[in-house]
Amino acid sequence: MSASSKRLTGSVLPEVDAGDFAEEKARLEETKRAVFNILEDSAREKERLEETHRALLNILEDSAEEKAMAEATQRAMLNLLEDFDVERSKAEAANRELRASFESLRLANEATEAANREIEAFSYSVSHDLRTPLRGVAGFSQLLLADYSEKLDDEGQDYLRRIAAAAERMGGLIDDLLKLARLSRAAMERGRVNLTAIVEKILERLRLAHSDRTVETIVAPGVTVFGDERLLTIVLENLLENAWKFTQNREAATIEFGAKPGSEEIACFVRDNGAGFDMTYAGKLFQPFQRLHKLDEFPGTGIGLATVKRIIERHGGRVWIEGAMDHGTTAHFAIPRSTEEEK
Amino acid sequence: MKSKLILLVEDNPDDVKLTLKAFERSRLANEVEVASDGVEAIDFLFGTGKHASRDLSIMPELVLLDLKMPRMDGLEVLRRIRSDERTKMLPVVVLTSSLEDKDRVESYRLGTNSYVRKPVDFHQFVDAVLQLGLYWMVLNETA
Repeated sequence: MSASSKRLTGSVLPEVDAGDFAEEKARLEETKRAVFNILEDSAREKERLEETHRALLNILEDSAEEKAMAEATQRAMLNLLEDFDVERSKAEAANRELRASFESLRLANEATEAANREIEAFSYSVSHDLRTPLRGVAGFSQLLLADYSEKLDDEGQDYLRRIAAAAERMGGLIDDLLKLARLSRAAMERGRVNLTAIVEKILERLRLAHSDRTVETIVAPGVTVFGDERLLTIVLENLLENAWKFTQNREAATIEFGAKPGSEEIACFVRDNGAGFDMTYAGKLFQPFQRLHKLDEFPGTGIGLATVKRIIERHGGRVWIEGAMDHGTTAHFAIPRSTEEEK
Repeated sequence: MKSKLILLVEDNPDDVKLTLKAFERSRLANEVEVASDGVEAIDFLFGTGKHASRDLSIMPELVLLDLKMPRMDGLEVLRRIRSDERTKMLPVVVLTSSLEDKDRVESYRLGTNSYVRKPVDFHQFVDAVLQLGLYWMVLNETA
């Protein structure tokens, strides 16, 4: 533009022709258009600037919102962190408690092991040390009876026989006590056990041993449970031998083995129509060495039902007994169905 | 029948007396040497200690061995008998009050020939001794 204006001012008149003006005019026009264009462009620029400005304002407005949101988020996060802190200290406390429980469990285990060792030492001592003097009592009273009976009158001999019999009975008690102790610590070997088959075998043996007796037996077929076969055989031996013993004065003795399979457990029973007992003393029957009958009526050490209880409880089951004086006895035991069965 | 020597290793004097009585009753004419604990038994078998001057050509035909004894117990005696050339073939019967599985298993592991529990009843005890004597002193042929 400056070049054009110089030309305008610098070209002086004398040799100017009309063609020259026309050319100038065209140039001016062109310049004018150019200026207009420029002006137009700047207007557009301005507009664009304003638009930008508005956009910026919008953005700023948005960021205020963003900021508020960010702040809210931050506050929420701080709250969360605080919650985390609370949770973490709770978890730590729980952990400490767990560790303490583990420690007391470990101590309890150690105590149990120590107690077991002590029981073992005790039953060893019972087995050996208690029997030795007993053998002296029984042995020498029997020797006295055999070698010196002519020097004793009938009463003296009777006393000696009582001493020998008492010593022998005590030997039996010690042996039963030992058996009970051994049962309680023997390892369990679980599997499917056919109780019906065991019951039939035991009844067969009892029949052979007491061929003078007639006992009607009813045995439920196909009763099986999950447990230790050796221990469950001892349970059934005790219950069936009891039933056999307490029906000895019955003309028509009946012994029944039955079972009621439930969803949680299998309840079995051994029922007899024998001497029965007074239900007042039912609780006592499962304690070792408790007897409800006179020795000369029905012999025994009174360890049988205690043994049954110990074994069934080791299977996680329960025992109970029903009866009435002179109206028979029903001994029940229930063994839980095991999830191990499916394995 | 020629009298054969039995070594009875037993610390309880009542049991010694009862065992001797039982042998008497069983009418197995045997000479019984009594050792009142494990140390005495070893002294007798190997001619040491109080048996240092003993004639070792006379050895027992059978050892009846109690387990629980002071100084040296029966299992240790059994171990020593089995680890010495002079006595390792000697018939040994453990005769004890104990019915503990671990005693029985350990006795057999150490090489006892038999394990018998002493019955409380004297007549049963005589029976047991009679059968032991019959088997080990009469029927059994030693190596």
